[in-house]
Amino acid sequence: MAAEAVVAAVDVGMTVEQIKATQLGMKALGAGIAVGFTGIGAGIAEMAIGSAAVGATAENKDIFGLALIFTVIPETIVIFGLVVALLLLFV
Amino acid sequence: MLKPKQMSRLLIAASRDQMAPVIAELYRHNLFHIEDYVDQGAEGYDGFKIGTPLSGASEKSADLVKIRSIANTVAVHADDIDAGPSCTQDELQTKIEHDLPKLEREVEELTARRSKLETRLKELEQKIAEITPFADIPVDMNLYHGYQRFTTLAGYVSRDVNMNVPCEMHLSKGKDKNFLVIIIPSEQKGEADKALAEAGFQPVPVPEDSGSPRGRIEFYSGETAAVKKEINEINKQLEEVKQKHAGFLVACEELLKAEVDQTEAPLRFATTKQTFVAEGWVPTDKVAAVTNSLVYETDGKVFVTVVPTDLEHDSVPVEYNNPDFAKPTQVLMDVYSRPKYTEVDPTLMLSIVFPLFFGLILGDVGYGLVLLGMAFGLRKFLKGEEGRYLLDVLRNASISSIFFGLLFSEFLGFAIPGLKPVLFSRHLMAEAAEGEVVTSHGPMIPQLLILSIWIGILHITLGRVISIINHAHQDHGQHRIKAMLANFGWIAVMWGVLIGIWSIAPLPLMPDLTGLPPIVSIINYGGVAGAVLAVLGVLLIAYDSVLEVIELPGIISHVLSYTRIVAVGFSSVAIAMVVNFISIGMFIQPQLENISPFGIFIILAGLVVFLLGHLLNTVLGIMGGGIHSIRLHYVEFFTKFYKGGGKKYIPFGMKRRFTEA
Repeated sequence: MAAEAVVAAVDVGMTVEQIKATQLGMKALGAGIAVGFTGIGAGIAEMAIGSAAVGATAENKDIFGLALIFTVIPETIVIFGLVVALLLLFV
Repeated sequence: MLKPKQMSRLLIAASRDQMAPVIAELYRHNLFHIEDYVDQGAEGYDGFKIGTPLSGASEKSADLVKIRSIANTVAVHADDIDAGPSCTQDELQTKIEHDLPKLEREVEELTARRSKLETRLKELEQKIAEITPFADIPVDMNLYHGYQRFTTLAGYVSRDVNMNVPCEMHLSKGKDKNFLVIIIPSEQKGEADKALAEAGFQPVPVPEDSGSPRGRIEFYSGETAAVKKEINEINKQLEEVKQKHAGFLVACEELLKAEVDQTEAPLRFATTKQTFVAEGWVPTDKVAAVTNSLVYETDGKVFVTVVPTDLEHDSVPVEYNNPDFAKPTQVLMDVYSRPKYTEVDPTLMLSIVFPLFFGLILGDVGYGLVLLGMAFGLRKFLKGEEGRYLLDVLRNASISSIFFGLLFSEFLGFAIPGLKPVLFSRHLMAEAAEGEVVTSHGPMIPQLLILSIWIGILHITLGRVISIINHAHQDHGQHRIKAMLANFGWIAVMWGVLIGIWSIAPLPLMPDLTGLPPIVSIINYGGVAGAVLAVLGVLLIAYDSVLEVIELPGIISHVLSYTRIVAVGFSSVAIAMVVNFISIGMFIQPQLENISPFGIFIILAGLVVFLLGHLLNTVLGIMGGGIHSIRLHYVEFFTKFYKGGGKKYIPFGMKRRFTEA
């Protein structure tokens, strides 16, 4: 697959260095997208939960622990994004 | 350890004349958690009523209210004051009688004067605000009022006014709007109003003052300054009162609170005309001590007995039973919920694993030292018990951070020279440019990720095992067996899937089962064993509750959630390295090679970037390391076994800090 791509790219006049640089750039883009979009997703999810949790905690301080848990549940998504980005960049 | 303190239910009965000594003795021990008596015809309590306070309760309460109001006015809090020299009760009592009324008068006088001055200040400011718009109009304010046939109007207009009535008009131009004062004959006010309305007139009141507006404003400003000065002086006096009497106030409050608590204790007892009965909880190992001293103090005129505990119906108060090093972590447990009396108390595990997670996330000697400094430095400001505990948690976490920093060989994002990472390297910028000597290893992401997944698998398995123990202790009959099997099922599914993965693909740091004899294509005996284990697990879960089966994908997301240990750690390393690169690589180093006066300025700027960047990363490190470590416990670990909701053990009594009993 990669070899075919290289052949195809050489056909259109790219050097091997250029191809490598392009692949590196694509990887970096992919990593950015993985972190960026999961971050937005987690943010949207936490927006509603967070405001409700703050309201509930203001009424009853005892449920702070529970409210914190609810708030951080969607955060796992962005961690997955971060892991994917790390895998893309370094593995 | 791993279990709350064992409690015994104590029943104390005596004649009413023994009430005061019994209460005093219980209060001194600070061990008896009173079970409040409610007048609802409980079994064996026919004819009992809620008791009445001992004599002197209302006077003491009144004194306490006084003390608290003074303490509130001068902003004295017991938590802010070091436990001072203890006074005896008699000394304080005489002080309360002699000094308290005087002190109360003094503080009251000062606050009354202050509030009067504050009202005056508001009035003056109001007047200045009223006159200010008229400042640019060179007319004596005397001329604005005192007419019978003329009316004065003042206000802002946004457009020009076409006035077709005879009038005297003054206009001062402003930025957005013009200010207008107009004097018109009263009988033509209707027409004037119309013309003004067309110009978008917004009226303001005409001040009932005399003299030139600027002069008046100056006069009022002078008076405002004088009033402010006087208020400041009163505040200074109150501060002096605080300095002088802070110790006395907190000691008084403590003494009176103790007395009020004691005099009001009968409100929680069951009483008849002649006798009273108090029920409550005492740690089992202290029962003998409490009983003996009660009998001794009352010359044997008291009946004390241990009532058998009914775990299903009694709500037993929960007191932690942890070794000293695990005690600070109780704060983190209380944030979630206190354990129930019958369940495993995970404080000890939390106290060990939380710092480990924190260190794995923020493994950096530099940040660890900064946090350690903070944990000791903030002690001056946080004097309450909870604050101290939190700082102890931070101290343990930062020590772990330093330890892992050495293992990772990291200091503020730099590699420690001469120290190779013992644990897998997290240095991101390890790929050396051509011709350079490679000084550190590249990041070992796969190994680190697998390490964190191992931590997750073991942590979750531990959680499920504790859940089996909890169900064995708490449940009865068929439900008990089912719940235990279901928890075993969860473990089986997780390990079954794992064995299946091992049999298909070799992974670093994990057993490789791909070498087992194959059955069909890539499926070998290991795969089959894993599948059987997983299916068995699913069946066991479904046997307890079919609905639970939809939670199965949660296993994967919970295990993968532990990769945050590496991911969040990496983000902290990355920020540190970027800060170092910007401040040293881009600002400082190029200038050092060729020093010039402007270069020194750039170097200073580089230092500022360095400090600010690492400050930001330290704050992020506490947030990242702390919140993610605790979240892994709260969400991934506790949800497996922990219910919480235990009643807090609040013994009748107090820890005296400023007085002697």
